[in-house]
Amino acid sequence: MIDSLSSDTVVVGVGNTILSDDGVGVHAARLLQSDARVPAGVTILDGGTLGLDLVPYVSDASRILFLDAVNSGSAPGTRVRMTGKGLLGLSGGWSVHQLGVANLIAVLALASTKPQDIVVLGVQPAITDWGTSLTSAVEASLPQLVEAALAQLRQWQESAHDGLPLAKSPCTP
Amino acid sequence: MARIVVDPVTRIEGHLRIEAQVDGGMVSDAWSSGTMFRGIELILRGRDPREAWIWAQRICGVCTMVHALASVSAVEDALSIEVPDNARLIRNIIAATQTIQDHVIHFYHLHALDWVDVVSSLKADPAATSKLAQSISDWPLSSTQYFKGVQDRIRTLAESKQLSLFGAGYWGHPAYHLPPEANLMAVAHYLEALTFQREFIRIHAVLGGKNPHLQTFLVGGMATAMDPNEPGATINPERMDFLVQVAKSAQPFVSQVYIPDVLAIAGFYRDWFGRGEGLGNFMSYGGYPQGSVHDYAAYFLPRGIILNRDLSKVYPVDPGNITEYVAHSWYQYSRGNQVGLNPYEGETNPKYTGPKPPYEFLEVDQKYSWLKAPRYDNKAIEVGPLARLLVAYASGQPDVKALIDTTLAKLNSPPAALFSTLGRVAARALETQLLADRLVGWLEQLRNNMATGKLSIFNGEKWDPSSWPQTARGFGFFEAPRGSLGHWVEIENQAIKNYQAVVPSTWNAGPRDPSGQRGAYEAALIKTPIAEPERPLEILRTVHSFDPCLACAVHVVDARGRPIPVLKQEDEAVRFLGGSERSETTK
Repeated sequence: MIDSLSSDTVVVGVGNTILSDDGVGVHAARLLQSDARVPAGVTILDGGTLGLDLVPYVSDASRILFLDAVNSGSAPGTRVRMTGKGLLGLSGGWSVHQLGVANLIAVLALASTKPQDIVVLGVQPAITDWGTSLTSAVEASLPQLVEAALAQLRQWQESAHDGLPLAKSPCTP
Repeated sequence: MARIVVDPVTRIEGHLRIEAQVDGGMVSDAWSSGTMFRGIELILRGRDPREAWIWAQRICGVCTMVHALASVSAVEDALSIEVPDNARLIRNIIAATQTIQDHVIHFYHLHALDWVDVVSSLKADPAATSKLAQSISDWPLSSTQYFKGVQDRIRTLAESKQLSLFGAGYWGHPAYHLPPEANLMAVAHYLEALTFQREFIRIHAVLGGKNPHLQTFLVGGMATAMDPNEPGATINPERMDFLVQVAKSAQPFVSQVYIPDVLAIAGFYRDWFGRGEGLGNFMSYGGYPQGSVHDYAAYFLPRGIILNRDLSKVYPVDPGNITEYVAHSWYQYSRGNQVGLNPYEGETNPKYTGPKPPYEFLEVDQKYSWLKAPRYDNKAIEVGPLARLLVAYASGQPDVKALIDTTLAKLNSPPAALFSTLGRVAARALETQLLADRLVGWLEQLRNNMATGKLSIFNGEKWDPSSWPQTARGFGFFEAPRGSLGHWVEIENQAIKNYQAVVPSTWNAGPRDPSGQRGAYEAALIKTPIAEPERPLEILRTVHSFDPCLACAVHVVDARGRPIPVLKQEDEAVRFLGGSERSETTK
């Protein structure tokens, strides 16, 4: 039996790791992949910049946490949190460069058979030119992004029905 | 006369800007500008060539495996490595899976909305929709009840004003011709395509090791364990059964949903078999080796070039004839900007000389794009599914010839109809069917190899860098979903000295060359009728028919929001851009 691609809670790091700060979400996801504090049953994905191709990995989840570089017009390293209807209202308009997280969230709203709780945790990038490392301001905010992600996962875990741990559904090989 | 700017072109991967001159309701000239800067060699220089693919697969946001495959192929070419048969088969299977998946997503989620008016589907009669669906296909999801359910979902979205979900559609535009029932059927299939994709991509999940970026590529073969007696092996008899079962799921979806939808839509837009023609020159590097990677004649989709729409002759491809120009691109070459450089000698020295943002128009008689202008033997060339199938058709590939002839007969059209916007749409669908049919065969070959004890999957003879020559260079290629992808690598003292990639959308979306020859998009837009300049749906139809992918790719989320698309018009009193007077209006 081959398992489903999607589990009930999915963390998706989004971004391009060869474009400097654009990859901050992926860097955070990689840190979470080896963090023992992540609750059991949570799937952590390096989502790259796959856009709609991520649908199979998140469509069955009831909770999705995106970690991403978010241009909020603030100082580099500034963290933002977006959730709820605010995400849908902005759909299409805030992914400026390609079919990105906004389009993915929009398609999920249309195609998903159950309500989904979606949270985006973002960091303002400084530089998104070619480069494989983060700038110092964004690098400095990386641990806080990881902690914020863990806090979100804990909050979801505590609010899970009848206090049981999140359903375990391991990823495919 | 008006100048239309579409920036960014939506429902594509990457960032593309089109400027079009409209004269008497028709495009008289067009300029395509990729506004992203590429330069993968800046990342790869000095690295171990065996790990180049790990970085290269991040060049493109969405088709990561195509760059991984082109990269390992380039290094294998440089070091004269032949991969074992199982590695060839797995690569074909992974590649075909990617292409099938990409084509389905492109048609339903990125392109169909140029032909399908979602809002009109609210007026459809579900019973009539059911009748329509059953008249064109045996696909089981076709009841009145089913279509009513889909319509209710769209209505809920429309009432909550969330139809922007479908991404900047020009609902109600006079160029939409489908009856409401056809629109409703297409929206239902938009949703079904998501379900199809979800199951089908599990082939990659099994063969790729890690999701969603495949991790099993390897210079010399594949890093995939193959063992008939080992339950933990990636490829064992149980997994083969699963892969074959998933692969077979593509055939009914493609033949009963995708192809009938394309034919039905084409029937309502027959004019578009005569629009968007473009360059008339086509190239395919060849895809899906059936034996040795060097035996191009035996590829499932053969290698070749077609010139001037002449299907009676197929010219050979010599990668040495490929050059890139920067006369209209924001780069400078050390030997001047009029020369063309073969990618082995390629240089990427960015120098932006365009207008300072925010600006209204690009300086199109000077430099206006971040894309270089690739040329083959100094000719502008179109690449992509249409190019591949035309080369295969003209080469007499029997599967391709039979499928194209049958389809043209159904459409009551001559082969010349393929040189068009709808020709690209149709070719993409037909290629999906050809690959869906072939995919199962490659899996059966793999199963057969396993059953007969042929388990070799990696050729390690040249793994140790001490076995390499001091200098070496190689060309790796792959027919990606969107067209011909080439990677050029130069290795010196066991490290990468230079690396260049020429991607499909550079061929198609690139700017003019020093002699003024237009790129493929630019040529294809000429004579496009424009009903409403402020809503240039017709431009999107032709540009989307190429499946643009410029996702090289910053994708930073912009929380401040931006209008899409930005549309600007300027009448001739302000700025006259036609003919000889253009030079007077630019600095």
